[in-house]
Amino acid sequence: MKRRIRIQNLGGAGALILHRPHPSVQNLARQLTAIGLAVSTAWPDPGPDILAADFLFFDADMGHDAQFPWEPGGSPMPMIALIGSEAPGRVEWALGIGAHAQILKPVGDSGVYSALLIARDAFDARRELSARIADLQARLDDRKSVVQAVTLLASRGMTEADAYDELRQMAMRWRITVEAAAHRVIARLAEGGEGDGRRHSR
Amino acid sequence: MKRRIEIGLLFSRTGSYALLSQACRDGALAAIAAVNADAGSDITFVPVERDPGGNIDLYGPYCEEILRDTSARHVIGCITSWSRKEVIPTLEKAGGTLWYPAPYEGFESSDRVVYMHACPNQHLLPLLDWALPRYGRRAYLTGSNYIWGWEINRLARETVMAAAGEVLGERYLPIGSPDIGRMIEEIRITRPDFILNSLIGRSQYRFLAAYHQLGQSDPHFRPAICPVLSCNLTECELPAIGAAAEGLIAAGPYFRGVAGPAEAPAFGSSFEAAAHDAVTELARLLAHRPGTETAGLTELLGTGRDAACTIDPETHHRTLPVLIAQSRGGVFEVIERRAEVAGDPYLSRSGPARPAPGLRVVS
Repeated sequence: MKRRIRIQNLGGAGALILHRPHPSVQNLARQLTAIGLAVSTAWPDPGPDILAADFLFFDADMGHDAQFPWEPGGSPMPMIALIGSEAPGRVEWALGIGAHAQILKPVGDSGVYSALLIARDAFDARRELSARIADLQARLDDRKSVVQAVTLLASRGMTEADAYDELRQMAMRWRITVEAAAHRVIARLAEGGEGDGRRHSR
Repeated sequence: MKRRIEIGLLFSRTGSYALLSQACRDGALAAIAAVNADAGSDITFVPVERDPGGNIDLYGPYCEEILRDTSARHVIGCITSWSRKEVIPTLEKAGGTLWYPAPYEGFESSDRVVYMHACPNQHLLPLLDWALPRYGRRAYLTGSNYIWGWEINRLARETVMAAAGEVLGERYLPIGSPDIGRMIEEIRITRPDFILNSLIGRSQYRFLAAYHQLGQSDPHFRPAICPVLSCNLTECELPAIGAAAEGLIAAGPYFRGVAGPAEAPAFGSSFEAAAHDAVTELARLLAHRPGTETAGLTELLGTGRDAACTIDPETHHRTLPVLIAQSRGGVFEVIERRAEVAGDPYLSRSGPARPAPGLRVVS
């Protein structure tokens, strides 16, 4: 699939640079301003503003976990590592904390625009994948409920295939997932006791 | 005693875009002469020239030569984006500044470059905004195979699609290639509403001649119905195009004969005007400020800016008027005039000029 780059909405976005004062920070800020972003800087404590940033540039050389008020890899915005030392330990830390793109120090005259686009794309892709994985995981966890609901329905005198079909029909009627429908069926049939099943409408 | 300041000129006087280089060089030299003749100024410019002859691999070395072997810190030069990108590393290394006098595709804002001509929010977007309602939304895109054509056509495609239009074809030719047959054939078959022409040099002249021919045999392909639009076509190429130039439409910040400030000289083209303005602007930034000869752009624009300076200190792009003109009887006649607009290289500042994504015209 060919991905089209969105170029329209960088204007007015906010970038936070988490780095001690340094010529590289100036060059980075100049590029960001030219591109149209509002720039703020902080070191070492980003303060609560970090949560409002649309893009976060962080120092991969001196940075540490405690600077970020979220679990490693769980940033609410794209993160771009500012890498001076390419020592494997620092690259590993930058990856672990969740870098979506990187810029090498010293920061020169270019490189920021492509880093913004790549970081945002990687961030979006990772978030979309995480959401899908969470959804699939939840469904996987609910396999037991589906089996239980099918068994309950089947005990009303249909085959397992018909029972499963019935469950799917319910999910469609209620506009919910099969797993959620299974939970309802279990709640209804199991708590109401065996004898209550006939009230269940077709 | 005037301060003697060397400035570099880096233009190819031969090669496929020599006409544009000549225009820029003429503009720069005229401005240098004007600065030197100005009794009220304390500076004299001494041009240092290098001619890469249209060879892309000579721009970097020649720029380095100027910055290394002479005292020049400012270079007026380059026509293609390719050559501009070639010299930027050299400028960075040697602390030089390039004053770039050609229209370009945007998405750059080097600390080492002043962009004196128009970028897409000053040429392509207003041109399409004007043309789509007039001619239709079915586009055919052409270009020479390098970054100018690629990016102009990418933006054009995005704009046309956002306006619920259609791109019927998009085709590129190597710089200098005369093989325009396939493009013409595709255009003949697809019958677009307009053609966006980002070809340069010889390919462009061949293409325009062949398209003119096509218009002779089929009235659909005449300027009134299916015009050819350009963002970089100026008077300096009309002689090379000849009769096929009739009806071509171009966007630009200046066309010959357009009234400017009373004291401004008349220019042959916007290329000439931009190069002239580059030298004039540089002179204004350096004049009566001894010691600024070696100052970087940030310093020059930071403290030396006066109200008349039209260069944005953040993007190094200029505020320029937007004119749309049509070639009629060998001259460009302005048919649409829009307000001056600041250069917005990343299209991140000038919201309303762009159609909102997803917005569709409901008919």
